[in-house]
Amino acid sequence: MGRIYLGEFEELILLTVGVLYKEAYAVAISKEISKQADRSVNVSAVHKSLYRLEEKGMLKSMLSDPESKRGGKRKRIFIITAYGKKALDESMDLRMSLRKQITDLSLKW
Amino acid sequence: MNKKNNIPRLPHTFFRWYCQPERYEELHGDLEELFYERIEKSGLTKAKFLYLMDVIRCFQPYAWKKPRPFTNHHIVMFRNYSKTSIRSLMKNPLSSFINVFGLAIAIGMCVLVYSYARWVNGIDQFHENKNEVYLITFFEEREGSAQQNGLTPRPLGEMLREDFAQISKVCRIEDAPAVLKFNDNVFNEKIRFSDPEFLQMFTFPLKWGSPAGLQDRNGIILSEEMSEKYFGEENPVGKDIEIIFGKDRSKIFTVKGVAAEFPMAHAVHFNFLINFENVFLSYPVYDKSDWSAFLNATLIQVKKPSDLTHVEQGMAKYKALQNGPRNGWKASSYQFEPLATLYERGGNIKSDISRNSYESNSKSIVFLSIIGVFMLALACFNYINIAIVSAAKRLKEIGVRKSIGATRRMVITQFLSENIFVTFFALILGIILGVTLFIPGFEIQNDFNMGFTLWDRNLWIYLPCVMLFTGIASGIYPAFYISRFQVVGILKGSVEFGKKNPLTKVFLGFQQILACILIACAVMFTQNTSYVANESWGYEPREVLYADVAEDAAAYEQMSAFMSQNPNVVSLAGSRHHLGKRVSTKVLHTPPNNQYEVNELAVDPNYFETMQLSIREGRAFNKHQGSDKLSVVVNEELVKEMMLTSPVGQTFEMDSMRYEIIGVVKDFHTYSFDSKILPTIFTVADQKDFGYLSMKVRAGREKETYAAMQAQWSKLYPQIPFQGGHQEDVWGDFFEEKDGHAKFWNAVALISVLLAGLGLYGLMSLNVSGRIREFSIRKVLGAQKKNIGLNILRQYIPLFMIAFAIGGPVSYYLVGFFFDMVYAYHIPMNFWGVTIPVVVLIMVLLGTVSIQVGKVSKSNPVEGLKTE
Repeated sequence: MGRIYLGEFEELILLTVGVLYKEAYAVAISKEISKQADRSVNVSAVHKSLYRLEEKGMLKSMLSDPESKRGGKRKRIFIITAYGKKALDESMDLRMSLRKQITDLSLKW
Repeated sequence: MNKKNNIPRLPHTFFRWYCQPERYEELHGDLEELFYERIEKSGLTKAKFLYLMDVIRCFQPYAWKKPRPFTNHHIVMFRNYSKTSIRSLMKNPLSSFINVFGLAIAIGMCVLVYSYARWVNGIDQFHENKNEVYLITFFEEREGSAQQNGLTPRPLGEMLREDFAQISKVCRIEDAPAVLKFNDNVFNEKIRFSDPEFLQMFTFPLKWGSPAGLQDRNGIILSEEMSEKYFGEENPVGKDIEIIFGKDRSKIFTVKGVAAEFPMAHAVHFNFLINFENVFLSYPVYDKSDWSAFLNATLIQVKKPSDLTHVEQGMAKYKALQNGPRNGWKASSYQFEPLATLYERGGNIKSDISRNSYESNSKSIVFLSIIGVFMLALACFNYINIAIVSAAKRLKEIGVRKSIGATRRMVITQFLSENIFVTFFALILGIILGVTLFIPGFEIQNDFNMGFTLWDRNLWIYLPCVMLFTGIASGIYPAFYISRFQVVGILKGSVEFGKKNPLTKVFLGFQQILACILIACAVMFTQNTSYVANESWGYEPREVLYADVAEDAAAYEQMSAFMSQNPNVVSLAGSRHHLGKRVSTKVLHTPPNNQYEVNELAVDPNYFETMQLSIREGRAFNKHQGSDKLSVVVNEELVKEMMLTSPVGQTFEMDSMRYEIIGVVKDFHTYSFDSKILPTIFTVADQKDFGYLSMKVRAGREKETYAAMQAQWSKLYPQIPFQGGHQEDVWGDFFEEKDGHAKFWNAVALISVLLAGLGLYGLMSLNVSGRIREFSIRKVLGAQKKNIGLNILRQYIPLFMIAFAIGGPVSYYLVGFFFDMVYAYHIPMNFWGVTIPVVVLIMVLLGTVSIQVGKVSKSNPVEGLKTE
């Protein structure tokens, strides 16, 4: 078992969950992503990733209070776990270190 | 509320249907939120359409799967555990090997025990009507113990058929020897006469032909083995085969069917089945209505098991009939033995129909189980010891785990799961060992086939249970022991681990005791083999040849005339019965009303001297014809049983005649040493009844005399195969069986020594590696190999002393107990049986120490003293 595997979209979701601290639920996340990354994300795709990340142990969740704007239903709020943070850090580090290894020469054209 | 009604109904119903109830609230909440937003933004129609799209998009596994929030931390944990266990296994290849290999051997043994028990308990269980078919048995009327007898009066079966509506089928069975002839092949065989119902009661599947063939008086059904013997691979149905029952009684039979290969677990079987009506061929005078003559077996089949009570209640009438004529066996009561348990109970019933081996087989199961448990114990003790001692190496890991926040329970779980992981490896290896080595070895040794397969549901319940049991039994103590340490102590380095644990010593002692017992068994069984081989039979089988003359007076006449001219023959005797070949049973009556069951051997006066039976008291029979018709010679056992003070001159009644005892013969073994010597009488045989010719031959001339006898026979009777041999070979397979026992025990002992030795070795090497610094200092200061050796040895000497002090006597009594249980006659327990194991174990100890000393003396003290 080498490094923790984290897909690109999963990473995006994970980051967004971190950004929306305590307000991170599926609808908000999908809106945040479309706002920040300028890509439209369907809510079902977000659901899928969130549950997957929870199963992997990178997120944990609890239910909020009921809200009227959603027909009196509760929402599931997600929070990053320590393991999730570790996963993010590793992937960031990897990208940064690779980026730093690119010589300026190869970027001159 | 009216908002809610806007949600499109159909998609919503669909969503409700596929969504997990636990997930519904949060998911549909999200969809509703979007829906209402979209109504605000772009109107109802579009919102409805988008809602439908969302519902379809959400139709995915995450929505209908049960949420499993906790899986991950378990998975992560176990992943971590398996990592650490594999690492620690890899780090100590020696101790891992000892653990896995030891446990595997024990589990392999368990597989063997299982397969054997399954075979024994499955015997005769494949017959469809096993609960409706009963063997009629009766209890003999006699003083004291009642003997159950499987013979039945000849007319009984037919009468029951007529008298009881509940009885649907009756089957009478007789067996007789005969000679079979096909083309030029001639063999002696055993023929079974039975009613056609036989194949409906015993549902042996047929390979060719039909069971109806038994209704034909000229039909014969063969077993698969016999079909191959006479006809090879081809289908013999319709072929003719001749059966010769006597000199001028033979008949041609047509093969009507061949049974498929009998299942491995069967006791009741047959070689040749022919219709019962043919019984006259074998017994020219066969009165079916004679209540004083007995059939080999009579079976009945009732419509349902509860019908039997009705039959049982109506048996009084037949008791009167059976007890009417004056014959040996009077019935006190009848009992019906169901086929389902016939094999199990066969030991108590005098009958030929079922093999009487259940008792010894169930004993063997007990034995094998004991051995299996012993082996498991040995392996588990190894595991525990090694785990405790190597805890030292794992202390850091445990310290770290605990400081991160593992509770004690988690550490215990970790160790147990790690252990079950190891056991799992052992299980796989054990199954491989069992299937490829133990079971075939056991089968070859005992010359049978258990028909073991791995495709057995119960086996896969049993094996995981063994695995779990072993895993927990061997892991629970180390887990508790190791998890007990305080983190602070561990990280400070002030924890005393492993070295001073008294329990390791106790376990090691236990192992030595177990090994001691198993080796003692092996030694005694081996000794017993040679003891039994040299044991006196009470007669001299070595120079005796015998020939079976098929109860044919003329054949006896010609053979004995020819053989008496042979210069090598010292003495010659004719007899109706013969030691180890044939005896009959009689009942003696003495006043006031005592009955004794005895073996009878009808012989001629020369028999005693030919077989070298020695007369203790009185005399043997007179040699002139016609004398001593009412005299008997008895053996010592009978004298003991009847409590006669001066046996010679005493009389008793037998078959309503009065006989007088004229001599007492020294006890001798009629059967093998497995059976107790029974009270036996000799009577004078009539010349016309002679069935055997026995002769004493000059020493060293047995072979040529035998060849001459065989040649003469085939000259006289080319049609009939010669049956005879050396008296020594009569119980040939008995000695092989004993030899097999000894071999088996030797294998067991070898394995146990190996296990105990491995455990000792593992423990000692851990111990030595823990003290490597001390030894290095000793070496620097000039210690010799001898000093170091003694130093290591010193720890173990008291332990071994105690173990031997306990193990010696225990194994002495235990083996004696085993012997009494298994053998009727065996070697008396002796001092060697206990000494050898002790010596062997001391050798193992010394060998182990010397290996360690070798290691220490080769090691460089500098290496040992380096601090990390």
